[in-house]
Amino acid sequence: MRRWLLIASGLLLIVLSVIVWQESHRIKPIALIPSLTGQVEYCLTCHSNLAQISSSHPVQTFGCVICHGGERLALTADLAHSTLRGGANPSDYSVVQTSCGGANCHSGPASSYSDHIQRATTSIQETYAGAIASMLYTFGAEPDLNARFATSAVQAPGSTSGITSLSLFAPAPSSNPAILAFASNCLNCHISGQPLPGAKYFHFTGCAACHTPTQIVPGTNQTLPPTGQIHKLTTAISYTQCDTCHNRGNYDLRTMTFQARQDQPTDRLHDYYQPIAQFTSCEYQLDCIDCHTRVEAMGDGSLYRQETDIQYIQCKTCHGTLADLPQTKTMTDPNDLAFRLAQLNPVVDLKLGDTILVTSKEEPLWNTRLLSDGTYELFDKAAGAQYTIPLVKGSGCQQDPSRQDSASCHLCHSVRR
Amino acid sequence: MRPTFFHHLHPPTIPARQARFRYTLAAGGLAVFLVLVLIVTGILEMFYYIPTPDQAGISIQTLVFLVPFGGLVRNLHYWAAQFLMIVALIHLLRVIFTGGYAPPRRFNYLLGMFLLVLLVFLDFSGYILRWDEGIRYALVAGTNLAKSIPLIGNGLYAILVGGSGPGGATLIRFYAWHIFGLTLVAIILAGWHIFRVRRDGGIAVPPPALRKGQPRISRFELVRREVLAMLIALGGLFLLAAFVPAPLAPPLTASSPLSETARAPWFFLWVQQMLKLGNPFLWGVLVPAAALVLLSLIPYLFPNPSAAELGTWFPKGNRLAQVVAGGLFIAILVLTVLALLPSS
Repeated sequence: MRRWLLIASGLLLIVLSVIVWQESHRIKPIALIPSLTGQVEYCLTCHSNLAQISSSHPVQTFGCVICHGGERLALTADLAHSTLRGGANPSDYSVVQTSCGGANCHSGPASSYSDHIQRATTSIQETYAGAIASMLYTFGAEPDLNARFATSAVQAPGSTSGITSLSLFAPAPSSNPAILAFASNCLNCHISGQPLPGAKYFHFTGCAACHTPTQIVPGTNQTLPPTGQIHKLTTAISYTQCDTCHNRGNYDLRTMTFQARQDQPTDRLHDYYQPIAQFTSCEYQLDCIDCHTRVEAMGDGSLYRQETDIQYIQCKTCHGTLADLPQTKTMTDPNDLAFRLAQLNPVVDLKLGDTILVTSKEEPLWNTRLLSDGTYELFDKAAGAQYTIPLVKGSGCQQDPSRQDSASCHLCHSVRR
Repeated sequence: MRPTFFHHLHPPTIPARQARFRYTLAAGGLAVFLVLVLIVTGILEMFYYIPTPDQAGISIQTLVFLVPFGGLVRNLHYWAAQFLMIVALIHLLRVIFTGGYAPPRRFNYLLGMFLLVLLVFLDFSGYILRWDEGIRYALVAGTNLAKSIPLIGNGLYAILVGGSGPGGATLIRFYAWHIFGLTLVAIILAGWHIFRVRRDGGIAVPPPALRKGQPRISRFELVRREVLAMLIALGGLFLLAAFVPAPLAPPLTASSPLSETARAPWFFLWVQQMLKLGNPFLWGVLVPAAALVLLSLIPYLFPNPSAAELGTWFPKGNRLAQVVAGGLFIAILVLTVLALLPSS
């Protein structure tokens, strides 16, 4: 018996040594106490290699949990990740209000330009209202082209367009087969839609669909981390990100299927998105967001019937007309939206007293500037390149002065491929 | 060698045949040992656990992930509790299958049954203290079962839950029950139970006239055997605690829905399975209570073994009791397995 006691004690000692060894080899947690929450979180224990998402969201201020959710103290992946909002993407519209919202963040009042969520979730890029309406009208399900449906039920009480709500587009099983095929094949073009399979189509959903770069920009030596680890938010959105949706091919209206483009464009000119479009040099040399302003791309908080109801930028916005110079504004208010946008994406050093171009809705084209010699310059928002903006006034333009819309400009200035 | 305090807790000698592992299965002694482990680890846990809905889960995660050896302490508490339940059931079956409950030990048998009920409630309340998503089913189903009892159900629910639904009042009540109410009663009853073992003449053996010169062992040998069993049990507990962590899920929130795979704690799976049959009061309260009453009344309802048969496995005298108890346990086992099957 004494021998057995000795053996058992020895075994217990071995077990205890194993436990002490195990404890001493436990991961040393890396603590972070973000100033916004004041609550310790240990996500960096595993994620210390992750790049800071953007200079507007410093990790020391925001930490991880305020956006991503998750169990801030857990040191096992399963438990830590069990309550993540939106999986790896907290900006998905199903959770965006919790992740990105808040009066001081992205669901504040329009007057402080912080109504991003309201604008983006009602924008035509999310509702897809125009495509749905024209499909329903074409196949006889609706009497006109008015927008009634969207990819999800959406409300916009303050909408100034006359449309204050759209219902969820969910055609009954007895609907026209073409409408059913459209519903099942063609709804992955909106922001919340799952992208088509294939690396060149890949983007996240929600805010990250545009603001998280998932594509390599040609001409840069940038590389992409694995899909789940692209930890970046930017307002310098390259055309390559827009291309994940807007340059993929076309929908065949007879079969209601997506026809991916077959060519392999090697330059920007041939990478321009519409096979039959008329377009001019700035439309393929600049980045999309250089002309398509924040309101055009993200909406203005109202619900619209179709894309053309919110798109308003014309060639003359920057180039003026035969009679007039483009509309400008001199920066006098340090709280002007233009300064905030220029600070987020500092391709230009905007100062008080600078004169910039503004659109007909008085949106600042903050990446433009009137120089002392009377010429206008533009800095590409994504690539940073500098351009001088040619003016129509005083040029040899022979267009009818009453026809100064973009389509008329394209008659002479379109580029041939 | 002079007997120490621990030797004096034991009788000077006990019958060798009934002191063997194959007779006692070491169940009673291990139960006492596991209770000691539970008290020590439970006290350590109390230094970190915060019994409020928004802090409970966080404080457990702090203990598990950040406090040195904190996870080990929690795992030890968890595994000791699981084993205590198993060891207590083995102890009960041993007593029934050897007829050890026969007079004069009927009252101590009842004390043991009462301890088993306390143990079930202790396990259940400790489980609820996790206050994470893993316990949602047990919390909702368990408290609603109380409500299903006619006449007193609503009052019982109010006492147990402290509101119209589980919340902060519920958690603090389960906490108080777990560390104070139930534990205090259980410790006193366990002391009484152990005292009664000696008062009733130690382990059940035939009266002296019917014994044929059976050898006895000293309390020194008995304590050595107990120490050996404890060393082995402690080693096993430590190994399990080091490598198989106790379950932990995200903290309970009011908004998250009940998942379809939600399960009761394992010792209540048989009740969960019966609840699928319908009437919650009948299947969730009456039937389990009837099973408990039936088990408790075994010494009073069924023939007892004869004095000469005591101290042996499966005496003929109480066959009926063995069959009833065996049948009951097999039924509970089958129901538990059914509850674990994915399709059920």
